[in-house]
Amino acid sequence: MSSSSTESGWLSSPILKKVITGVTGLGLTLFVLGHMVGNLAMFTGPDAYNQYAHFLVSLGPLFYAIELGLLAFFLFHIVTGIRIAIGNRRARNTRYSVYKTAGGPSRQTAASRSMIITGLLLMVFLVIHLLSFKFGPGGPGNASQAYLTTIDGVEMRDLAKLVHEKFQTPWYTFGYAAIMLLLMIHLRHGVWSAMQSLGAMRPSLTPIVYALGGLLGAGIAAGFIAMPLAIYFGFI
Amino acid sequence: MLDSKTPAGPLKEKWDNYKNSCKLVNPANKRKHTVLVVGTGLAGGSAAATLAELGYNVKSFCIQDSPRRAHSIAAQGGINAAKNYPNDGDTVWRLFYDTIKGGDYRSREANVYRLAQVANNIIDQAVAQGVPFAREYGGLLDNRSFGGAQVSRTFYARGQTGQQLLLGAYQAMSRQIGAGNIEMFARQEMLDLVTINGKARGIITRNLVTGEIERHVGDAVLLCTGGYGNVYYLSTNAKNSNVTAAWRAHKRGAYFANPCYTQIHPTCIPVSGDYQSKLTLMSESLRNDGRVWVPKDPGDTRSPRDIPEDDRDYYLERRYPSFGNLVPRDVASRNAKSVTDEGRGVGETKLAVYLDFADAIRRLGKDTIEARYGNLFEMYERITGENPYEMPMRIFPAVHYTMGGLWVDYELQSSVPGLFVLGEANFSDHGANRLGASALMQGLSDGYFVIPYTLGNYIAGTEMDAVGTDHPAFAEAEDASTSRIDQLLSVQGDKTVVEFHRELGKIMWDEVGMSRTKEGLQRAIDQISALRDEFWQNVRVPGEPTHHNKYLEFAGRVADFLELGELMARDALEREESCGGHFREEYQSPEGEAMRNDEDFTHVAAWEHREDGSKVRHTEDLEFENVQLTTRSYK
Amino acid sequence: MIITLKVWRQEGPDVPGRFETYKVPDANPHMSFLEMLDVLNEQLIKEGKDPVEFDYDCREGICGSCGVVIDGQAHGPQQRTACCQLHMRHYKDGDTIVIEPWRAEGFPIIRDLVVDRSAFDRIVAAGGYVSVNTGAAPDANSIPVPKDDADLSMDYATCIGCGACVAGCPNASASLFTAAKISHLALLPQGDPERERRAKSMVDQMASEGFGDCSNHAECEAVCPKGISIDAIARMRREYMRAVRG
Repeated sequence: MSSSSTESGWLSSPILKKVITGVTGLGLTLFVLGHMVGNLAMFTGPDAYNQYAHFLVSLGPLFYAIELGLLAFFLFHIVTGIRIAIGNRRARNTRYSVYKTAGGPSRQTAASRSMIITGLLLMVFLVIHLLSFKFGPGGPGNASQAYLTTIDGVEMRDLAKLVHEKFQTPWYTFGYAAIMLLLMIHLRHGVWSAMQSLGAMRPSLTPIVYALGGLLGAGIAAGFIAMPLAIYFGFI
Repeated sequence: MLDSKTPAGPLKEKWDNYKNSCKLVNPANKRKHTVLVVGTGLAGGSAAATLAELGYNVKSFCIQDSPRRAHSIAAQGGINAAKNYPNDGDTVWRLFYDTIKGGDYRSREANVYRLAQVANNIIDQAVAQGVPFAREYGGLLDNRSFGGAQVSRTFYARGQTGQQLLLGAYQAMSRQIGAGNIEMFARQEMLDLVTINGKARGIITRNLVTGEIERHVGDAVLLCTGGYGNVYYLSTNAKNSNVTAAWRAHKRGAYFANPCYTQIHPTCIPVSGDYQSKLTLMSESLRNDGRVWVPKDPGDTRSPRDIPEDDRDYYLERRYPSFGNLVPRDVASRNAKSVTDEGRGVGETKLAVYLDFADAIRRLGKDTIEARYGNLFEMYERITGENPYEMPMRIFPAVHYTMGGLWVDYELQSSVPGLFVLGEANFSDHGANRLGASALMQGLSDGYFVIPYTLGNYIAGTEMDAVGTDHPAFAEAEDASTSRIDQLLSVQGDKTVVEFHRELGKIMWDEVGMSRTKEGLQRAIDQISALRDEFWQNVRVPGEPTHHNKYLEFAGRVADFLELGELMARDALEREESCGGHFREEYQSPEGEAMRNDEDFTHVAAWEHREDGSKVRHTEDLEFENVQLTTRSYK
Repeated sequence: MIITLKVWRQEGPDVPGRFETYKVPDANPHMSFLEMLDVLNEQLIKEGKDPVEFDYDCREGICGSCGVVIDGQAHGPQQRTACCQLHMRHYKDGDTIVIEPWRAEGFPIIRDLVVDRSAFDRIVAAGGYVSVNTGAAPDANSIPVPKDDADLSMDYATCIGCGACVAGCPNASASLFTAAKISHLALLPQGDPERERRAKSMVDQMASEGFGDCSNHAECEAVCPKGISIDAIARMRREYMRAVRG
């Protein structure tokens, strides 16, 4: 009996691993969707954007709880995803010299094959992104008078200013846009895959959910990309 | 004269009488008895599972990489049982009667009646195991009708009934393997039977992965190793189906009964060239709507669609006006042979006849034909690349079942005590011709419901010497197997195993096939004997004995087929009558119909192998106390 | 027609393998793919070389013995077809075909194109059955089964255990095989009493055999000779979670 690549210990079941990536993946999808919609506030003006950000921070303990929850979701999603990817590589030590999909009912695509790559790149981006904005000038542990503003008599962080500065640089703007395309690719397979992992699929539903997953991914990416480009090209 | 050990009493009470009086093994003692089961098809799988459930220590062997792959899996049509769910008048008696008549009165009444009796239990058992039989909207089981019966008694699971029943048995086995009650030896081939003090006590096997020769000891050996149709090289059997286990047992004392009884199925996809490795059967239901014909003129090379009605010979409709295209399998097959012998065969090889659906499509519409036969048409197109909606199918008969096999008594015990033979490997229930949907029934009946009683009776009533695999008989058998393998590898001649097999197949098909003559059979005996000599002088077997070596496996099997083939010809020669699948041209009516000789041949012929290599023909008289022997007519 | 073959040759599980190139000068469009390999082997034997070992038995697509990866696709280019029923008319004169064994740690190579699929047997032995002893069955019609359930159950039961799902899966996952058996039995009232135990044990056994996890590529459905739907995998997950919840 082969046990060379057997993972043991906590949550080693192949089903539970996929349930975890599925649940956390769907949760994170909802988060990025909300984040994207929030970003669109910039199109109303810097004040609206800052007020929205301030509103979130002012939720206090609830905000921290959500952040902790998000952190947990990210960690579980990433750790389980990496474990799955390692296990899958071990399951086929010798690769095929020629390999191609049989097409048809197969949903194997560049997107489905590159989940671990897009995922890891998104993880790296996430760290940079948090350092740039959340922990950037005016953020926690990085107090800066220059990034404060007062709106309707309330003093708050001028996040909009930071955002505008960041998206003046071409490499940052286009790098960001490229990463969002990776997010789109990740969601292309991720959304429907999560539903299938949760056992929620049946044959009649699969094509619909698969199509909606693609649309959702594209929509989220488009929403995220719109604001930086608008800033870079001077529309807002 | 052989003793069938048929129990006393009226036909309907024999099996009950047997069960009431057979000896039982104490439950606590069963664990101490090891049973070696060779083969994991319907017979072997069901026997191994059931015996393990009862508490015996079972060792199970198969040549495939998994017990789930035995050739029972290829059976398409269905399984008979006299449940009478359709309320169309079926009874156990009718199932018995149809089966014995279908066998052309050459089987044992008591065995066939028992088969009909336990058939109902098989359906119950299979359903309980989760076999997904076809059902009606009310949720109850569906039945369909099948050849040779006027009632609907066939249970089916799409076109994959054999597969589903085998998976049921395989799953029951798997449960016992998981529980440690069966030790499974896959990729192992039985090479010899070990007898000690006249009893079957063990087997010699070859591990097909490493080539190692192994010894296994037990209190009884069950051979469930299937039929020998591959003696013809081309048949509908799986490529690995072989006679070796049965043949080696025969050479250790088990009588081989009625080897000449082979069934040839009329609707198979014809041979397309020399490279052909096997034949594929299509359900004979196709003859319900297809019309069989050949051109009248042997030199007619026109495309079938260009041959006008007047130049066609619908020979079955012409010769059998009342049954037409629906004559039984053996009649349809023989007629196809006779028209191709006249040179009127069609297709590139001229070894085929047309099965034409043009009229049916005109009459019923393409949709109806598609609904009835869509999957068969698809299969035909996949294999031949031709569209049967537009061009007539080309079909030809092919060997697909062997009714003969090792002789067994009512207890399924061979002439070697402790050697039991189940399923197609024995000769017992189908006489000279098997009806559709009854092979599955027999395999499962033997394994699930007969052997648990008869094996217990043997074990409880037999004094067993304590022997181990260190007994000299094991060493002798192992040496014989090893030296045979060495011999096969040492010849290093010019002809491959496949070439020899193909040549043997041609002799068998030409002379011991659908119709046989005295001269032809004598010719076959000479030719086979010469071919066998050439084989041992000139065969080339590649590779080493110490690794996975498919052609070495084949070599051993073909060597055995070369001996069996000759016995089949001899058996056919001695049986001077025509019955079921055995048609002797000398014994036919003026209209060309088979003529039995009940006076001289209402018996089983069982061949003994003597130490000096000679064969002795023994007989077991078949006594018909309950049915009247009649002649079949389909005019 | 002339066909060039690049065939994986490997003498044993622990010996490194390599590709060998052969020419089959007299391939015929009516041949099956395996018959073309038979012709190659006859040629090799005549030349005094070792023939290519590959598994097969029924050659009509039902026993599940055969299976090789042909030009990167398990069982070759024709969907819903085991390679024994693939015919050479799908190729043309001068084609080069690459043939590899099923590659998965759960299916160690025995020799050349022959692999050890006994992991599948162990997965079934872990619970892929209904515990009913011979003789203990009630009358077959005592429990009605809705036709739709029976038909769907049959869809899953058609699995031939060939291993193409594992071979085609980018992760070498055995999920479709395991799920097909779990689904077949879970849909029937006869399989109901053990459904939770069965799902748990079979999945655990599958995990211990060194197969990868399912990432929902659905490649298995595309290469399955019986076209078994990955809906089985969704159902297996439901069954498993039901078992875990208790």
